[in-house]
Amino acid sequence: MSMIHIDPMEKRWLWAIGGMLAVFWGVQIYFAAAENMHPPSNVEATNSAKLHLEGEFAESNLGVKKQADGSYLVTMVAARYGFYPQEIEVPAHTPVKFRIASFDVLHGVHVPFSNMNTMVVPGYVSEVTTQFQSPGSFPMICNEYCGLGHDYMYSKIHVTAGKS
Amino acid sequence: MNNTTIRTVVAMAGFTALMMTQVMTQAMASEHGAAVAAGKAPSTNVAWTADMVRFVANGDKDRGAKLSQDMFCASCHGNAGIAPSANWPSMAGQRAEYTFKMLKDYKDGKRMATNTSDPMVALSKMMSEHDMADLAQFYASFDLPALPKGVSFDAAQGEKVKPIIARGDGKRLVAPCQSCHSSDGSGAATDSPALAGQTPDYFVKTMQEYKNGTRHNDVYARMRLIAQALTDEEIVQMAQYYAGMTAK
Amino acid sequence: MSITAEHAAGLAASNRPTATAVQAIGNKLGLWNMWVAFAALALGLPMGLFQAAERSGFFPGIENTAVYFASTSTHGVLLAFVLTTFFTMGWGYHAMAHSVNKKPFFGWTSFWVSLIGTVMAAIPLLTGYASVLYTFYPPEMAHPAFYLGATLLVVGSWFWVADMIIGFVQWKKENPGKPVPVIMFMFTMTALLWGWTSLGVASEAVFQLLPVAFGLSPTIDVGLARTLFSWTLHAIVYFWLMPAYIAMYMIVPKEAGGKLFSDEFARIAFVLLFIFSVPIGFHHLYVDPMQAAGWKLLHMFGTFMVSVPTFLTGFTVLASMEIAGRLRGGKGLFGWISALDWSNPFVLAGGLSLLMLTVGGWGGVLNASYTWDTTVHNTQWITGHFHLIFGGTTVIMYLAAAYWLWPKITGNQLFSRKMAVSQLWMYFVGMVILTLPWHMLGVYGQPRRVSTTDQYAAFPEFAQMWGLYEALMVVGAVLVVISGLMFVYNLLMTHFNKVQEADTRVIYASAIHEPMRLPGVLNSLAFWNWAMLAYMILSYGYPIVQFFFLEGHHTIPWGV
Repeated sequence: MSMIHIDPMEKRWLWAIGGMLAVFWGVQIYFAAAENMHPPSNVEATNSAKLHLEGEFAESNLGVKKQADGSYLVTMVAARYGFYPQEIEVPAHTPVKFRIASFDVLHGVHVPFSNMNTMVVPGYVSEVTTQFQSPGSFPMICNEYCGLGHDYMYSKIHVTAGKS
Repeated sequence: MNNTTIRTVVAMAGFTALMMTQVMTQAMASEHGAAVAAGKAPSTNVAWTADMVRFVANGDKDRGAKLSQDMFCASCHGNAGIAPSANWPSMAGQRAEYTFKMLKDYKDGKRMATNTSDPMVALSKMMSEHDMADLAQFYASFDLPALPKGVSFDAAQGEKVKPIIARGDGKRLVAPCQSCHSSDGSGAATDSPALAGQTPDYFVKTMQEYKNGTRHNDVYARMRLIAQALTDEEIVQMAQYYAGMTAK
Repeated sequence: MSITAEHAAGLAASNRPTATAVQAIGNKLGLWNMWVAFAALALGLPMGLFQAAERSGFFPGIENTAVYFASTSTHGVLLAFVLTTFFTMGWGYHAMAHSVNKKPFFGWTSFWVSLIGTVMAAIPLLTGYASVLYTFYPPEMAHPAFYLGATLLVVGSWFWVADMIIGFVQWKKENPGKPVPVIMFMFTMTALLWGWTSLGVASEAVFQLLPVAFGLSPTIDVGLARTLFSWTLHAIVYFWLMPAYIAMYMIVPKEAGGKLFSDEFARIAFVLLFIFSVPIGFHHLYVDPMQAAGWKLLHMFGTFMVSVPTFLTGFTVLASMEIAGRLRGGKGLFGWISALDWSNPFVLAGGLSLLMLTVGGWGGVLNASYTWDTTVHNTQWITGHFHLIFGGTTVIMYLAAAYWLWPKITGNQLFSRKMAVSQLWMYFVGMVILTLPWHMLGVYGQPRRVSTTDQYAAFPEFAQMWGLYEALMVVGAVLVVISGLMFVYNLLMTHFNKVQEADTRVIYASAIHEPMRLPGVLNSLAFWNWAMLAYMILSYGYPIVQFFFLEGHHTIPWGV
């Protein structure tokens, strides 16, 4: 601190900045560590060209499946220009895990007013776990430019009331 | 604030961050993959890997020309890929990947025989995949087809459906046709077929087959879903629109 | 006291000194580079208006998806790559000549290589063969000329980076122990930042995009490409922002009639901007599957850190303006604000920029949050945010800097100070009306990069929610375009103005306490290069190397 001149007001501002940073970091660490809240990040490679041939993303395996523990698994494919299956139904207030892969190019998928928001990167499988808070019908919208049909790429999700 | 202090702070921050990364990455390991129900066979065996794309791209169009003579393709598809009548599809200028896929789907039983395509099943079984690639390149080498002699189109009907061609129908989750088939109807990578200049009867027949599920080699049922959402009238109008695209 | 005519003439002459040989080079390089920048602005802004109008749905006659995406791509490249790079190169050369009196080693090489690259990329962009947006995410592939052109634009700027570093090092050798003039320090840190961050997109282009575009490679790893692009994608906005901050530090305090509050904190802000803006790119990949959450968390901490230099800048610039206000007689807690000369375009631009920085900056702090991003990623919130902070905060200071530099370089008086003031007000109001509704659209879930909103006909309540904001955005866009064109007009008229500028001396703001000696970290580059290397290996090492060990299947190229 010896060589440069720091005005006393500036010193107070530095403390204020430090305090703000502590709050920003503290809140994030709390929710990441204590509530296990993270953005979708599962690092899993796949072969996008061969999704339909067999395995998890084969045509007959897509859709909503109830799991043994009461949660739901939704298997979907993003392919120009739609999400398949085009209409799905899940209950509110129940953990739902989405696993989505791209059949061709970069897509994104987002249900407005929720944190179901993930990139769908060809060559990788995306996984998002969330709970929907209110029943109703919502669009699942492609939010990453995927070509000239991008505007029209969306599907429907119906959230039914309560736990089933 | 001298050099040593700054360097120490930066180093400590870096070390702390590194420790945190290790902890967080381990905490994030999730079980990969999910249980898979044994299901039906896929709608097609063709997968557009780089090898497959290269294989089709390396088809020899001259060998394809000879094959088309040996196998009498012209009797239904014309010498230069323009069908002699409205019963069969024109092949001129069709995307090679699409033609290849159709032949392979016929051979694998993914695309079924109908009353007019009965010969295709038997013919495809006589072809090797090399033959299919060569034939595909042969047909791709032509310009998009004019309509066969005696076949006409209704331009006015075609105009009526232009809004769906250009802007789809969001209410029915139908994307614009041109977003996959191009604004000039020439199709697009990887296997979206060219539609321009196709005979209207064949267009309607194809869409009706998608609509009732007779044709089911479209991956993830994308064309079936679209065809089911369209009315019969719209399908006829689209046929007119695309038929007229190569008219002078 | 009266002065003789001779004395007056002598004073006048000393206020219009003849440029030295080095300064003449700096002037010419500055002018040519910045004219290219503002030509890009003049071309790019109307495209933005077209997009706002096309998407609103109020003008069915212009609706065309292919034209929309060609426009978005061209608008993005012109304003995000061409305007910014050429402006910064131009002013950087000018500042180097006038602050440390150094002639550039390469000079025109950077200009020509970048210009050739720009033209090469512009042709496919304008003809619809490169509608892959300014972020050009693969595997959709544009015409090879686009990638080649974009690469040349970046490579050209590397010659400028080298020039700035060489000039800096030469001056230091000739002046051992002395503080480098602060404007040169700031521009060189900017250049160094650009060198480090552009390596990401350059690697993506050279090792992935160009080989695929030219058919040398059959596939591309999209995960790796996005990771490399993220390396560039955040710090590039600081490459854009730093010249705006330089204008706030070096032009505004003096023009307002005051002093720079602290020279040292200007340097501290810039070194913090340097080190904390590159290794944080993963906040652009928060919802991408191919990077683990731990790395995203690490990048998040750095993303919050990079708010610090902006907090510092806000403080220093406001304090500097307060000095000016009080020197002009302002009393009381806020009296200095009204005491400032708001009819002075530089003061006005500084104030308006700080206002936009406050809103846009807090938006940025929000976006840094790892969890908040899952609710707004790829919605129009993001687009609204960067239009406010870049189009607003940053570009308005570019305009102010141009108003300052043109008279000094051309020797002609600014054509109309009044027009400059009204233009700046109109730009600000337009930006606010354009971008605040834009943020709301994002909160209401509207996705990015859509050319229409009537596709959600199955959910009519969405279109109803969005309609008002779309309409407001068109109004804002109209104001921004008119004011932008007014700016270019003013510059053109200045260029050919027959009235001479009375004072063409290039004098930057001086600090209350000019430092006599500085610690090495605030006066040299070596430490920061090593720090950046270490931090980059930590932040990007494993995340990039992992791609070579993942059993991945790469993707074939697709069309648009």
